[in-house]
Amino acid sequence: MSWRALRIMWRITRLNFRAQLEYRAEFLMDIAIGAIWQVSVIVFATVLLTRFTGMGGWDSSDVLLIPATRMLAHGLFVLFLGRMHGLGRSIQEGRIDAYLLRPLPVYRQVQLEFFPTNAIGDLTVAVGLTVGALGRSHLDWTAGRIAYLVAAIVGGMLLEAALFTVVACGSLRFPAADYWGRWLEELLGTFGSYPLNVLPRAVGGFLTYGLPLAFVAYFPAAVLTGHGHTTGAPYWLAAASPLLGVGAYLGARLLWRWSLGHYTGVNG
Amino acid sequence: MSGSIEVRGLTRTFHTTVRRPGFGGALRSLVNPERVAKQAVCDITFDVAAGELLALLGPNGAGKSTTIKMLTGILTPTSGEARVAGVVPYRERERNARNIGAVFGQRTQLWWDLPVRESFAILRDIYEVPNVEHAARLREFDDLLDLSSFWDTRVRHLSLGQRVRSDLAAALLHDPPVVFLDEPTIGMDVVVKEQVREFLRNQVEERGRTVLLTTHDMTEVERLAERVVLINHGRLVLDGTLGEIRRRFGSTWQVRATLADPHAVLGPLPGIALVRREGPQVVFGPDGSGAPTVHQALKAVIERYEVSDIAIDEADLEDVMRAAYVHAEAG
Repeated sequence: MSWRALRIMWRITRLNFRAQLEYRAEFLMDIAIGAIWQVSVIVFATVLLTRFTGMGGWDSSDVLLIPATRMLAHGLFVLFLGRMHGLGRSIQEGRIDAYLLRPLPVYRQVQLEFFPTNAIGDLTVAVGLTVGALGRSHLDWTAGRIAYLVAAIVGGMLLEAALFTVVACGSLRFPAADYWGRWLEELLGTFGSYPLNVLPRAVGGFLTYGLPLAFVAYFPAAVLTGHGHTTGAPYWLAAASPLLGVGAYLGARLLWRWSLGHYTGVNG
Repeated sequence: MSGSIEVRGLTRTFHTTVRRPGFGGALRSLVNPERVAKQAVCDITFDVAAGELLALLGPNGAGKSTTIKMLTGILTPTSGEARVAGVVPYRERERNARNIGAVFGQRTQLWWDLPVRESFAILRDIYEVPNVEHAARLREFDDLLDLSSFWDTRVRHLSLGQRVRSDLAAALLHDPPVVFLDEPTIGMDVVVKEQVREFLRNQVEERGRTVLLTTHDMTEVERLAERVVLINHGRLVLDGTLGEIRRRFGSTWQVRATLADPHAVLGPLPGIALVRREGPQVVFGPDGSGAPTVHQALKAVIERYEVSDIAIDEADLEDVMRAAYVHAEAG
């Protein structure tokens, strides 16, 4: 991406943010909604720390790393790449047609459609949880571990973006595919914060090899806390989670490019 | 850069599921869907010369918007070829986007939450227009479209007329040689319509832009277009100047004459039929496909009969196009 492209993105984002700021009540409400949306994770973390000593063979301080990683990855996804979610509506309103008329990649234009104020709420809760999780952690946070955690968060963000990009590709053909996006969001919110070994083997297998939810936070946290050999998946695969996120995202972008080439418009 | 448009055998087929009637039919369609191919645009060929304004006309669902979408790079044709200012739009979408401006009357291409002027500034950066040029063009468009009275307003708060004027300016700020307008004045009041027409005329005559316009407003066609392409059911049925089309389909004239002798016996006139007679008042109209033009008919009536008063009623473009649509439907 060129310097000029970055400058344009920054300018549009700045203007979009300023536009949101002008509606004060709406702006504050969006932030609050972003935070409240994560209330189930906060309740889960509170219950975990006050009532249980651990879960699925994991110490509670280790378990806390899973929702912290997932929420940070999710908050960054919402901030940078989250506009793929709900693309069906943009398609039905013909906004994709307008994007196709400008000399900019359509994917980038979708991401610049508006500023996701709710991401501020998401990220505030996520940062608070991560600080809490790191504070309670008994691990020795070496540079290597910190680098791996950062890579895992970025990988998780990209993996979530890949999943929603695939749904968006479906929306280009069938706008009703948006409903799958809602289901996916629900699934990520519900199962993304647990060690998946507490679930029945078939469900855990589905959330690993069907919908690769395990790679967002569970596997990276397992590798960091020394549970990497007990996840049921090969250790190398669990350790490669951040790379898998990058790979999945690149694959999803190729699929997006192909799907856009076969776009048939609102009436098609 | 030449702003010509070349369209050769352009075809776009959509595959849709046939909806069977009733609840049982809907269930059958779910289990055993019947897919059919529908040609929205079929083997269309035409050219638009650089600096020409062409009206692409046709009834609703004729394939006008699909044609424009292929020429702007939004859709890829099933077969055929198109070049817009020398670029194949669906192969080099981003390069084509730099050469064209487009306005779709029913939806905006501006940033919904931003003031119009901010949208213009973003477009300046996207299209890499130098600041001095941008400012000069903005002044010019403001003079013609009166933009400054509302350009600090967010797009979501604009009236339809203000929004389309902003869209028009946004589409032309990067000085594209080719402009596509899909029903740009739909829903506007007459004052704004006239302002937009004046702007378009200025852009064609003074700036030499090539314009492809779709509209259902025949006044607009009459005021702006020299040439018309008519499509129906995805097929091109007519390509000619307004004069040619009038000659071919505008033969719905009437010649009203008051005869000096109210009892004069009326003999046959070639290609001219007597429509009505009330004493000295007679009305003549065209008789069959070989009817003369209104001026030839006028001459024939005056030469044959002694008249004390005479007047002609010519069909307006709306009637002419209606006749052309009926002809296309029958053909």
